[in-house]
Amino acid sequence: MKRAAAIMLALSLALGLNGCGSGLTIFSNYRRLENIELVRTVTADAEGGDITATVYSDAGKESDPRMYQRTASSIGVALGELQLMALGRVALLSHTENMLIGEELAAESLGECLDYVERYSEMRLDTGLMIVREGTARELVSGLSGPDAPSSDVIKGFADNISRAGQGYVFSCREIIASLCENGYALAMCVAGEKAEDKLFESRGELDIRPRGLAVLTAEGISGFLDDEETTGALLVLSKYRSKDMDIPVGDTVVTLDLDGFETQVRPVFDREGALRGMKIKLHVSANIINLSGTAEVSRRDYRERAQDELSRELREAIEAAVGRSQEMGIDFLDLRGFAARAEPIKLQDMPGSFEEALPDLEVEVTAESSIRRTYDIMDPPQTAKDKEVKNPWENLIESLRDS
Amino acid sequence: MFRKNTEKPRTPGPGGAGTVSAAGIAGVFRDCYDFELRKLRLGGEGLEVALAFVDGLVSGGDISEQVIRPLTEARRFPAGTTAQGAMESMLSGSVYAYTAKKRQNLEEAVDDILNGYCAVIFDGEGVAVTFEVKTDQRRSVEAPKEEKVVKGSKDAFVETMKTNTSLVRRKLHNPHLKIRDFSVGEKSKTALTLIYIEGFTNPEMVEEAAKRISAIECEGALNSGIIESGLVDNPRSPFPQVLHTERVDKFCLNLLEGRFGVLVDGIPFGFLAPGTFSQFLKVPEDHTQHFLVASALTLLRYFSVALTLLAPAFYVAVAMYHQEMIPTRLMLSMIEAKQQVPFPTAMEALMMLLAFELLQEAGIRLPSPIGETVSIIGALIVGQSAVEASVVSPVVVVVIALAGIAGYTMPNQDLGAALRICRFILVLMAIALGMFGISLGCALLVYHLAGLESYGVPYMTPFAGSEGREFSRALLRRSFQVKRDREPALRTGPGGEAKL
Amino acid sequence: MGKSDRVTERQLRVLTFLCLLSPMIRILPSAAVMFAGLPAWISPVPAFLLGLLYVKTLNLLTGSAPEGQGAAGMCVSALGPVAGRVFCIVCGLWLTFYAGFVARSAAERLLATVYPNGTNAVFIVALLLGAAFTASGMAKTLSRAAEVLMPIILGVAVLVILSAAPEMSVDRLLPVTYRDCARVLYGAAPIFDVLTGFCYFLFLRGFVSRPRGIRPNHFPWLAALSLMAFAITVVTLGTLGDSLAETMDNAFFMVVRNISVFGLVERVEAVVVAIWIVTDFIFLSALLMIVGEIWRTVTGATRHAVFSVPTAVLSGAAAFLIAGNAFELQKWSDFIIPITNIVFTVVLIPAALAVGKIRKKY
Repeated sequence: MKRAAAIMLALSLALGLNGCGSGLTIFSNYRRLENIELVRTVTADAEGGDITATVYSDAGKESDPRMYQRTASSIGVALGELQLMALGRVALLSHTENMLIGEELAAESLGECLDYVERYSEMRLDTGLMIVREGTARELVSGLSGPDAPSSDVIKGFADNISRAGQGYVFSCREIIASLCENGYALAMCVAGEKAEDKLFESRGELDIRPRGLAVLTAEGISGFLDDEETTGALLVLSKYRSKDMDIPVGDTVVTLDLDGFETQVRPVFDREGALRGMKIKLHVSANIINLSGTAEVSRRDYRERAQDELSRELREAIEAAVGRSQEMGIDFLDLRGFAARAEPIKLQDMPGSFEEALPDLEVEVTAESSIRRTYDIMDPPQTAKDKEVKNPWENLIESLRDS
Repeated sequence: MFRKNTEKPRTPGPGGAGTVSAAGIAGVFRDCYDFELRKLRLGGEGLEVALAFVDGLVSGGDISEQVIRPLTEARRFPAGTTAQGAMESMLSGSVYAYTAKKRQNLEEAVDDILNGYCAVIFDGEGVAVTFEVKTDQRRSVEAPKEEKVVKGSKDAFVETMKTNTSLVRRKLHNPHLKIRDFSVGEKSKTALTLIYIEGFTNPEMVEEAAKRISAIECEGALNSGIIESGLVDNPRSPFPQVLHTERVDKFCLNLLEGRFGVLVDGIPFGFLAPGTFSQFLKVPEDHTQHFLVASALTLLRYFSVALTLLAPAFYVAVAMYHQEMIPTRLMLSMIEAKQQVPFPTAMEALMMLLAFELLQEAGIRLPSPIGETVSIIGALIVGQSAVEASVVSPVVVVVIALAGIAGYTMPNQDLGAALRICRFILVLMAIALGMFGISLGCALLVYHLAGLESYGVPYMTPFAGSEGREFSRALLRRSFQVKRDREPALRTGPGGEAKL
Repeated sequence: MGKSDRVTERQLRVLTFLCLLSPMIRILPSAAVMFAGLPAWISPVPAFLLGLLYVKTLNLLTGSAPEGQGAAGMCVSALGPVAGRVFCIVCGLWLTFYAGFVARSAAERLLATVYPNGTNAVFIVALLLGAAFTASGMAKTLSRAAEVLMPIILGVAVLVILSAAPEMSVDRLLPVTYRDCARVLYGAAPIFDVLTGFCYFLFLRGFVSRPRGIRPNHFPWLAALSLMAFAITVVTLGTLGDSLAETMDNAFFMVVRNISVFGLVERVEAVVVAIWIVTDFIFLSALLMIVGEIWRTVTGATRHAVFSVPTAVLSGAAAFLIAGNAFELQKWSDFIIPITNIVFTVVLIPAALAVGKIRKKY
């Protein structure tokens, strides 16, 4: 008992040493809840040779969102100096959901920003990273903010839903950093602001955030950008889409397909000497019909096959565009090397030269297969009275059997 | 209050200290208005004897009919009957009392009188014959008040020892059920019985219990605390180590599991040992419900232990040091709610804990109708007003209330009280050291519990000390269709599988 | 040791298992990845086999020793009263230093993960104070506490690993070919280094009461440790990749940082770090108790408890003085400590026990 009392007394000394210079407390980590400025979005732009860091915080229902900005020689110093904000508030970066970096800064010092995220314990690695084109990041984020729609909500919604909408994919800092460490390159989502001409809701800001393809990153910075088709091809190969809607023209009609199953197989092709000659990329996609403009019988097999062929062609072209860009840049941002290593690790290790050297000359054969699995509720559009033909039901049965 | 007084009371008597005499007994009961001493002549005209008793402890009717009437009948005690002959006759059944004892020691005679006997004193012989004529005035057996069960028996222990032992005997018709009696308390001489099943309950435990009971030194054993502190291995630990129950069926069930029981005259519940942590989280209803339901509720109780212990400390640590753990939306509403509150989180939590304890104490101390009202009013109005006045934030109220309610699910109030103390300590450690303080505090708490033993049985059985085989016994209740082994930790006598 | 202070073989194994989780999280996965690269996630398998062989060897060397005799007593019997005592003192000093290193590592981990603006001192002092208290108690109390804490810690670890699994990509774990065998074996070295910690707990063997005919069964505990090593490595490599995992100090906790539990709690890093501190605390307590037991044997004292506080003070001094900053500590952690550990657990102590076996001292 005496022993326990002695230990408790010794431990309780920690309580009494609040603020003591000897540091036998952890009160230096104490933050008063009411003084916290909850940062949800961080932006960084180049400003001369310096970096301007801006944080956007939400303060709940009763207060307006706030923005704090600081310019300094590095992002760490800028965000550190932000702590010296008015009203004694403390910026808490641990809830940062997305980080937007201006194109100019990304080209010069993206590695520094990523290093800050990786090193600083408050930041989370799964923070989404986006590169802002056609303007600065802070202009975009400020322009997104509306009376009832804080910019952080808009950006979070964009980031969460873009892969579901099939318009892109927001890579997290972890994915980018891991890819840069392992492969020397990475992809990052690009965005830009568009003036919101038709404001459907008063609560929206002046700008809308829109995807602008992908940026190819290397250790030095941005090596190039992918346009929309190349972006689609790249994300298909990397299986980053959750779903995607595409309009496919079939004759006079346009059928809208919801793509929801993506499977990519990539196999290397080696010659007898063991040199890498090419790659075979095979994509399989499953789709559902969600809309049909015009009159067509989707229940008919030949119609669906035409739609599938057209879809496959478009997807193949997108992948070919991405592959072509990769070969043109000499950067394997599609991670074809990784696919090859998993498929034929020994042959890849034994091949003469490096994959990067062989990449520009590889013969890449792309095959895309798609299958339409279902349509929802309505098989064929209802016929008008004028077009209706009264058919013998036995004839209908024979026709449908012939189709299947 | 119960310090040992080494001075023995003097009991003077004409035959010298210790011998039985009417004057001696009258001297002992001097200044006792309820003491009666009357002279009788055996057979109406024969040998003179004295009849001593304490009014209130004896039944007047029984004394008159069973003792005085036969004593005064000439055919039973004809003229010329000697004292020895009279004594033999009384002991052989001429007096109708069902218990008759011959006492040659003043102290024994006085003890008998104080236990509801009347004493027929033969002054010249220095002997008394005592007859049990206890009054029937006692609290009747009622339904349990604290441990209510829907599908169980409705008899609970009362203050009277003999009634309690009879209740046990009615449930366990076992000739090996032993009831050893002891007397505890220098001045109160409270009767105490040690109950066990011979050949089944571990004899070492029984002997150890007997030794501890005999070693209880106090002047009066009128409350359970003194008995408990004498029975337990570690009286300084706030955690209960001896079960207590007012239910007779629970008492007997534990005897059948290999525990021994203690009943104390004047205390309307029984004690059971060895007590382990898992036992304090079991309720009588576990044996009346379906095994799945009982198991789920047992798991809920364990969850409640964690909640009551850790919720306030967790909140304090997270709100002070680890805000990154709070989801964004919740964090925003907490920041908003805290804007007007002038006190830091640590003070809020401590104030609310203290307020909760105050309300609870007030609810207990006040008479029932007022107490309940005060508790409800305190909880609702004070809590709500405090939030509206921005004295505390609503999250703190919710957290503390949850922790408090979780504490109330503890079947054993002693365990709940111990957890409340630990809760305070953990909050203080969370204030000082954050999550690290909580984990260090919990590790030390587990260490403390692991160090407790009850009659050689580790307190944390079956979580510890059972070789990992009996873990499920604590958390789940097996179906009665499945034959179960006895608890190995209780080291019961031979017999193989338990049949329940 | 008193007659009433007895533990079972299983309790000692549980204590060992829980204690070895502490160095495991320190070295995994960065040390294994440093040696093996991408195939490091397979390294726990050969480490397990090596560990099994090692522990069986220890059993052979110590199985015939009388009940109630720990490794310290066996070393004194084996090497003679003077040489044996000197050897025990050397072991005791090493373990005192090692305890200080463990305390310092735990403190640094807390600073790097959840208390970035704190100082080492508060954690080192708190841990060692608590450990001194528990080490001065009975071995059976510490073992029982380990039995109670083990399922809690394992449960949290399993929950965390399952929560982190969806973030994994199997592609990051591949390719692995037969050519990586050598690397896998190299990666097994640091894991095996952890498993050799079983050796230190031989010094507590004197507390074990072993009923006749019951053979110690190490397989489940070694398997559990190896499985834990495998899970930690797989999850970390699958989430971060080998390059990132190697460069990060606390890669596993970096993965944990991104876990959210049903949206109820985010960034559970603080909870997981706090739970893992319990393993450090138990390990510290065990080390202090082991050192106390060594000193008890050397000096002939009746109780090990009297040595707990002085040992804790010495360990505290070691904790503060071992390194001026995290970089120097990393060097100790990467090279000096593992090598010294292997020297003691694989060479010196087994050699001393073997001498005793050959000389038929037990």
